[in-house]
Amino acid sequence: MIESLNLEKSVSREYNKDIKLIKSNTLKNIDRSLRAYKEEYKYTPLFRKIKNKIQIGVSELDHDYDIKKIKESIPKNDGYRIIVIDGLYNEELSNIPTEISVKKFSDLSEKMKGNFQKAYQGFDDSKSDLFSSINTINHFECLTVYVDKGVNIKKKISIINYIDSSQSSYFRKSILLNKNSCVTFSEEFIGISEKISFSNSVCEIFLHENSKLDYFSCQSFKKNFHFNSINAFQRKDSISNFHTYSFSGATIRNNLNILLKDKNCYANMYGFYAIKNNSHIDNHTSVDHMEENSISNEHYKGIVEGGSRGVFNGKIYVRQKAQKTNAFQSNNNILLSDNAKVNTKPQLEIWADDVKCSHGCTVGQLDEDALFYLMSRGIPKKEATSILLSAFSSDITEKIEDENLRKHYEELILSELEGLNYE
Amino acid sequence: MLEIKNLHASIDNTKILKGLNLKVNAGEVHAIMGPNGSGKSTLASVIAGREDYDVTEGKMNFMGNELSDLGADERAKEGIFLAFQYPVEIPGVSTTNFMKTAMNQVRESKGEKPLDAVEFLKLMKEKMKLVSIRQKLLSRSINEGFSGGEKKRNEIFQMAMLNPKLSILDETDSGLDIDALKIVSKGVNTLRSKDNATVVVTHYQRLLEYIVPDFVHVLVDGKIVKSGDKDLALELEEKGYDWIKVKN
Repeated sequence: MIESLNLEKSVSREYNKDIKLIKSNTLKNIDRSLRAYKEEYKYTPLFRKIKNKIQIGVSELDHDYDIKKIKESIPKNDGYRIIVIDGLYNEELSNIPTEISVKKFSDLSEKMKGNFQKAYQGFDDSKSDLFSSINTINHFECLTVYVDKGVNIKKKISIINYIDSSQSSYFRKSILLNKNSCVTFSEEFIGISEKISFSNSVCEIFLHENSKLDYFSCQSFKKNFHFNSINAFQRKDSISNFHTYSFSGATIRNNLNILLKDKNCYANMYGFYAIKNNSHIDNHTSVDHMEENSISNEHYKGIVEGGSRGVFNGKIYVRQKAQKTNAFQSNNNILLSDNAKVNTKPQLEIWADDVKCSHGCTVGQLDEDALFYLMSRGIPKKEATSILLSAFSSDITEKIEDENLRKHYEELILSELEGLNYE
Repeated sequence: MLEIKNLHASIDNTKILKGLNLKVNAGEVHAIMGPNGSGKSTLASVIAGREDYDVTEGKMNFMGNELSDLGADERAKEGIFLAFQYPVEIPGVSTTNFMKTAMNQVRESKGEKPLDAVEFLKLMKEKMKLVSIRQKLLSRSINEGFSGGEKKRNEIFQMAMLNPKLSILDETDSGLDIDALKIVSKGVNTLRSKDNATVVVTHYQRLLEYIVPDFVHVLVDGKIVKSGDKDLALELEEKGYDWIKVKN
């Protein structure tokens, strides 16, 4: 099935020899990804849906987009931002704090390249993923973000990705947090044309000793297909907090893979989705505890309306050496219509014997007793429903430490909930 | 104020109320007593507008409006209040915010301006005293982790805030110790006036020592089979419900 994609052409046009090697190695292993695809995409047959939209990523030469429209949509404030258009970094529109360095991979010094090389090649999980492999082969430019030792940036850094291509756009990033650094990224994808397109984003993240990362992903599309993969690699004493918010879109697939490589790592994964009409959201996560004394904590909640479908798959691996691991996971869903569907699957593989792990999932409806209670005090059904649904989301939003960001997401959820159909 | 005529109601095709008549005037306190499963709580829920119940026959007129035409929220706006037998726990919504939303909805329907934060807080503090409830409790999620007594006091607090014309207390005494019962009763009695009415649904005569009714009705198998004054409650307590059942 993969032949029609012309992946060889993508490899052969690559002129950077380091990247070419990575691309050709990925192509050699594509069979492995194809084998894994069947099981990993069981409820999300993404390939079938967008096959004719998978094309080579746009290059600077053939890229043509409405820059005026993009300029208008950028908020007029002094906030930090990284602007990426169809996978290509736009330095002019970006506002980068002086403490961090944002460069194309091909522009890096040899020494720096070495630092990013490993992330670029991908971790095991992303290597065996079909769409991550397609990204590796087809993307045109990899953006690297380097946060130096001890750098602590209090203000969030927005990563705004614009999608203009009517076919495929590939976003590729590598982020490296050096020792003792601390930073917050808030990433969003925005479709600027009315065209239906396929966006494919892969972001590899390295967290070195004692670094801390907050990473927000916000996805809200009208009719786009979106594949998003985040792969994090954590060293000793590092902390990661991932917050994933998804609203609508034709089909969204999120992969979030976290490798806790050393002792005493801490990873939090929080997700919320509210989808309507005939949308499809698939959250596939995995956390791999390799060494002892690490903690992972995962909570995803979702509201599914109309003929939409939600998919959740959460894997936890606890390796033999990873004694004293704490790993928790839960997924709760509310279905708002008879045709809404959720497939949820927790998956734990534990080799160590001194661990604390839990998982659970629920799929239910709105609590009728609670609804009547609110209504009996004079609150109309629509408002009462809205109150209950936003209360349902509060478990997730209350995990956001930054007050402004929390308010932002609470308001966003409220406005999305108003668009849902309760009857 | 409230006039119920020949009310029939069922849930999932099971008939619960089978031709109930009841008239409540302003300034009155009515007690509805009866054995388990006689339809007491159903009556309370049907008046408040719970959608699970189907009203198959009869009329419920409240101050000139037919209640069957109104949703639960509209009935609340007209001045009906139900104190729940089992108040619902709602994680993530604080009682304070809930009350603010509810009060402003009710005010809006009357064409009144919404309360500002200062006015609301002042009113809330005043009503909190009535049922000895702490503000800290009200800033927590509705009823979540509340004791039985705290839940019931919260119900009466909400009643005080909304100042309804007709209050229905559904087994408000269940699960209360004597001290909590006194607090709750004191709250209810303070709110009594010649302009509002109270319907007390209860199993036991005990509550009626504190909230003294003008009328006592006995509900058996979906109908009111006997009505009288407060002495009827004492007689029931002494002789048991079988006394009524045998007589009918």
